[in-house]
Amino acid sequence: MQCAEALRVQAYFDGEVDALAALDVERHAEHCPECRVLLEELTATRARMRSQLEFPGAPAQLRTSIQRLLDAETGAARRAAPRARFGWSGLPLWLGGFAAAGAALSAAVLLFLVAPAATGPLLDDLVSAHVRSLMPLHLTDVVSTDRHTVKPWFAGQADVSPVVADFADQGYRLVGGRADYFDHQRVAAVVYQHGAHIINVFAFASGRQPLPQYTSRSGYHIACWKLGNLQYCAISDTGWDELQALTRLLRAAGSADLPRQ
Amino acid sequence: MLPHLDAAYRFARWLAGAGAGSGDADDIVQDAFLRAFRAFDSLRGGDVKAWLFTIVRNCHATAVQQRQRRGAVPLAEEHLETMRPVVEDAATDPESVTAAAEERRTLARLVSALPEEHREVLLLREMEDMSYREIAQVTQVPIGTVMSRLARARATLRGKWLEQSAGEPRAVR
Repeated sequence: MQCAEALRVQAYFDGEVDALAALDVERHAEHCPECRVLLEELTATRARMRSQLEFPGAPAQLRTSIQRLLDAETGAARRAAPRARFGWSGLPLWLGGFAAAGAALSAAVLLFLVAPAATGPLLDDLVSAHVRSLMPLHLTDVVSTDRHTVKPWFAGQADVSPVVADFADQGYRLVGGRADYFDHQRVAAVVYQHGAHIINVFAFASGRQPLPQYTSRSGYHIACWKLGNLQYCAISDTGWDELQALTRLLRAAGSADLPRQ
Repeated sequence: MLPHLDAAYRFARWLAGAGAGSGDADDIVQDAFLRAFRAFDSLRGGDVKAWLFTIVRNCHATAVQQRQRRGAVPLAEEHLETMRPVVEDAATDPESVTAAAEERRTLARLVSALPEEHREVLLLREMEDMSYREIAQVTQVPIGTVMSRLARARATLRGKWLEQSAGEPRAVR
């Protein structure tokens, strides 16, 4: 029953595509009755669920008991805190500033106020950019398996000129390049394909924040390394071994390009 | 003053609804907040709500395992009763009040009849307005899987609803 575009239409409906892809979907739906119906159904289902599946908030009793539990927890952290002490005064020192801000403030609030670690947003941006690239028609801006086409293309599109090489013999086919934007700069993305997996290798001017060499986020593996003054991040849903193999190839290719010291 | 508590409770209610009596959601949420509080130091950026929901979901899974070990299986009827939404209807005509209430019950029943892995994805998307990435984080599957489960959940719900409406001449599509 389903048009091949159905998942993309759904992503559009859920606000998960960018403006260009949205335009694509809208154009498609104009000509595809199936997808028009799908959009109507998605809208109807959402409206029905949101209007008819409302549930009451947490019972006051639960709220109170969690509050008490967390207060006891902070009290225990202070070891000798007297039992009778009132909630917020039992907070450890590092919570003190906030406690002063409002007597009713519970320790738990602070759970949700602490700023994310510095590399978090950047890694999130990487994952978003990678996922976005997997949406149909978003993978590459310049399609080529020739590094002499891909590399010069970046000159006009990105702020950096990354290492581009084709490792088809080793199983990593160069698919093309793409310009992306995050961390306040235009970022170069070189796209490789390994088996059925897409690997995005992002390159950008390295910032102050050190990135973890290997990490995982939302189920994607991310390998980061520096070469010259460029920061590289490879991200994919391949296994670690496959990602590391490409990382090694790229580092080797990059080092060969660097001026001899 | 506990952020996300209502949302966490709502999520737990739906998770527990698949095979639990009332009161289970309370335990799950309480357990989850305590764990979240203790593990907070290990949170490195990212989305707090998704992180908390992940913990709620894990607590639910643990509770289910424990219950299975004990061999307790609650009555289906009982849980359907607790799943009934409590929103009051504005309509005054008794006939339409009943019909609307009936429709709500039907929808709640159909949603809770979805396979758990489909139901949770659907609820996180429609009720919590989470992005695919957040849902992927909470349910610990790749984004592609989130997309396909979401599509299937929606199609199933839609189909069952139509089936239901066809069976009841009075129900409006």
